[in-house]
Amino acid sequence: MKDRLSVVGKSVRRIDALDKVTGRAKYCIDLKVDDMLHAKLLRSPYPHARVTKIDTTRAENHPRIRAIATIDEVPRVVGYWWNLRTEKAMKRMYLQDNVVRFRGDPVLGVAADDEESAQEALSLIDVEYEELPALFDPIEAMKEDHLKIHEGGNIAIHVAKKFGDVDQGFKQADYVFENRFVTSKQKHASIEPIGTAIADYGRSGRLTVYTSTQLPHWSRIYLAGALGLPVNRVRVIKPYTGGAFGGRCGLIHGLEVMCCFLSRKAGRPVKMSFSREEDFEATEARHPFIIELKTGVTKDGILTANSIKLILDVGGYGTHYIGVLADALSTGVGLYRCPNVTFEGYCVYTNKSLNGAFRGYGNPQMNFAQESQMDMIAEKLAMDPVEFRVKNYRGLGEIDPVFDVPIRSDGMKDCLAKGAKKFGWNKKRTRKVDEGTKRRGVGMSCLQHGTGARFGLPDPASAIVMLNADGSANLLTAAADDGQGNRTVLAQIAAEELGIPLEQISVSDTDTDVAPLDGGTHGSRQTYCGGLAVKRAAADAKMALLRFASQHLNVEEKSLEIKDGVVYDVKDRSTNIRVGDLMRKVQIEDLSRCEQIIGYASGVAPAMPPTFGAHFAEVEVDMETGEVYVVKLVGAFDVGRAINPANVEGQIIGGEAMGIGYALTEGLIIDNGKIVNNNFTDYRILRACDVPQIDAIIVESNEPTGPFGAKGIGEATMVGTAAAIANAIYDAIGVRMKELCITQEKILEAIDRGARASGV
Amino acid sequence: MTKRDISICVNGKWYELAVEPYETLLDVLRDRLGHTGTKSGCAKGECGACTVNIDGKAILSCLTLAVQVDGKEILTIEGLHKGAEPHPLQEAFVKQAAVQCGYCTPGMIMNAKALLNHNSNPSEKEVRKTLSSNLCRCTGYERPVKAILEAATIMRGKDER
Ligand code: FES
Ligand code: FES
Repeated sequence: MKDRLSVVGKSVRRIDALDKVTGRAKYCIDLKVDDMLHAKLLRSPYPHARVTKIDTTRAENHPRIRAIATIDEVPRVVGYWWNLRTEKAMKRMYLQDNVVRFRGDPVLGVAADDEESAQEALSLIDVEYEELPALFDPIEAMKEDHLKIHEGGNIAIHVAKKFGDVDQGFKQADYVFENRFVTSKQKHASIEPIGTAIADYGRSGRLTVYTSTQLPHWSRIYLAGALGLPVNRVRVIKPYTGGAFGGRCGLIHGLEVMCCFLSRKAGRPVKMSFSREEDFEATEARHPFIIELKTGVTKDGILTANSIKLILDVGGYGTHYIGVLADALSTGVGLYRCPNVTFEGYCVYTNKSLNGAFRGYGNPQMNFAQESQMDMIAEKLAMDPVEFRVKNYRGLGEIDPVFDVPIRSDGMKDCLAKGAKKFGWNKKRTRKVDEGTKRRGVGMSCLQHGTGARFGLPDPASAIVMLNADGSANLLTAAADDGQGNRTVLAQIAAEELGIPLEQISVSDTDTDVAPLDGGTHGSRQTYCGGLAVKRAAADAKMALLRFASQHLNVEEKSLEIKDGVVYDVKDRSTNIRVGDLMRKVQIEDLSRCEQIIGYASGVAPAMPPTFGAHFAEVEVDMETGEVYVVKLVGAFDVGRAINPANVEGQIIGGEAMGIGYALTEGLIIDNGKIVNNNFTDYRILRACDVPQIDAIIVESNEPTGPFGAKGIGEATMVGTAAAIANAIYDAIGVRMKELCITQEKILEAIDRGARASGV
Repeated sequence: MTKRDISICVNGKWYELAVEPYETLLDVLRDRLGHTGTKSGCAKGECGACTVNIDGKAILSCLTLAVQVDGKEILTIEGLHKGAEPHPLQEAFVKQAAVQCGYCTPGMIMNAKALLNHNSNPSEKEVRKTLSSNLCRCTGYERPVKAILEAATIMRGKDER
């Protein structure tokens, strides 16, 4: 099949790259709308307080202030598309009260003629607060009965699941391992700061919102609900986006809804842009986890029981926590065969900035714990960690107990084998090079990550393919491209299915007025879910086209094919017609017809296939300074089929780099509710000089339900990086690091602990 | 505070402007002249997204006051290509799939341009060192580094700066 493909499987240039390298691509932050106002937020200086009085008189007298909207009228969106299923759940999604729940929580917004005036106005507004005691520690917050961050209490949700009989399972075990792991609050740190939107509430009651959202269509519904408008009156336009990684997976706290309210009041368009500091301090981050893991295993390396207890720090408001917990569950229970499992998860509110979606969802957290634990077990059993994984992972034909579906494509063994070979695993494991104060170590991890979100969540994808009179086509899709390149991939899929050259496909803007319902860009879903919709829409158009061709050429439809823009008879290639000629006839020439061919598809993907992967890491630790240097990293991922291999490699290398940050440097530090490292000097993401050699390996297992065999990739790429690095650090220094991020100080402390323990 | 009159040349065109003493070059380029190809990622000198060239050198436009560049010639990403032809750096970034979200890209390219102005044959290490003032969250830098090395080779061949 592979060689018959013309454009799928090729590293074609991105359709948007030239606009980006010439500076012509417009990001939300670059947009201007005629007559627009500029807005700023007044944010709470307290981590927990009740706003008792807001006096705006002085600001209202400011000649350049056009509107003020406060906490007394503007709701927050505290849910996600899970809430859209019922009217009751949807009501719960909007929270409007006068309590602020973290330092930086918006109290009001001001719209003025220019930014300086808006800023000035903030100092003219007097707000009185009744300060409330704050809860920062999720464990404390869980126990607390009196002080409630939200009406329903501090536990947002408690989930308990049971598979088999764990007591029995632990009895069967020869060894039991019990460990506690803690993970950090990582920030997306996309280079375009999170938090720019323009809202234009038109006089005719039509609302247009420009925002860099991963979810144009869901955002449209959220906004309609917040403003009390029918959905048709809201239009969401997503311009180019400077990276998202989950950070734009919904409306931004205090942004779009506020702009809409201000625009409605002022009768003019309103733009607001958060500063980098606001992005760090007051937009969603990765949920920190506390993970208690108890695992039973026989001496032959068979897992007999697993008990998993998780505490998720939700922050002041909850959005994605249920999904994040479910993702952790699917790793904790799904990755390895183990008959007896208990899983318990608590999502807990604290008075800190909110947490939400972030590349990998709950998987990087859970994977760090699980894959560290697996490493400990393998060591105890004196098994090669790779072999131990091969023995236990759930593969082809097996049923994932969480989602209760069979695995139809499984490239895990290939990922492990190819990754190990490229890395030089066997050699490096046995031959250690230690120099002076430097110790080297190697470690690995493996992972799975589901593609899409169809289980438990609405997960639609749609596409429209319109053929033009010259045989070219327009693809209408609302699949947001945050930089991954999915618009290019979808164009490749449409071109392949239609049999026309890639250059003859144009992909629409991401605009809810133009492109049909889509569940958003998250869950590594656009190549698979979006791709399936595009493929079906293109097939639909192709069917109509072949019907016309059959009439025209007098050949049965089923013996017609299209390639390179020409319809031909497979039995006799000389019977053919160019798609352009045919389309011109149908649309224009034949006056009795004048019909455009429009292919269409909408619906949910048939499955949620897991992407498999393995990471191999080599580190060098300086025993004197505690510095860790990642020497080499290999990531091997089973993507089903790579529609655009360069894009896949780009995801792998970028994800691995982000994973190194998660392992070693990235975590927001919060002191008394205040985020201390709110800039790129103190919150360190990797720079070009920090990135080691990263090898990306693509494994193609051909997912039978996927478009041309493809499944997802984006998120999987960083899921196991931290565990592989932590395992390599253990190999180097002999002490287990159970808390992310693994800073220099923690390493020094661990080396010290290790030395004391061994009596040196 | 009173405004100051300055004249600056951006991509070959001179502008006479009255600017506030605190206005940055970044704000002037983006807000006044509509040259939004130069990006803002932090507005305090940490990310490199705002890099432009003055006198062939890379500077951070967010840390540069407009009044400081009175009389200077400024080259931004919008001025790099010749007619419809992209600059070899731009071409290499496209070809090498070095662009993902593209937000860091103008800054990277302008920084690389300045490097190649004075070092037409940089080593990978030198490229990485230079590029370390540009944050990129998408690519892991691998492909941008490759693209710059490739552009350098092509430019040496064409003797084009
Ligand atoms: S915007 Fe100038 S360095 Fe970040
Ligand atoms: S390509 Fe997105 S930040 Fe570099």
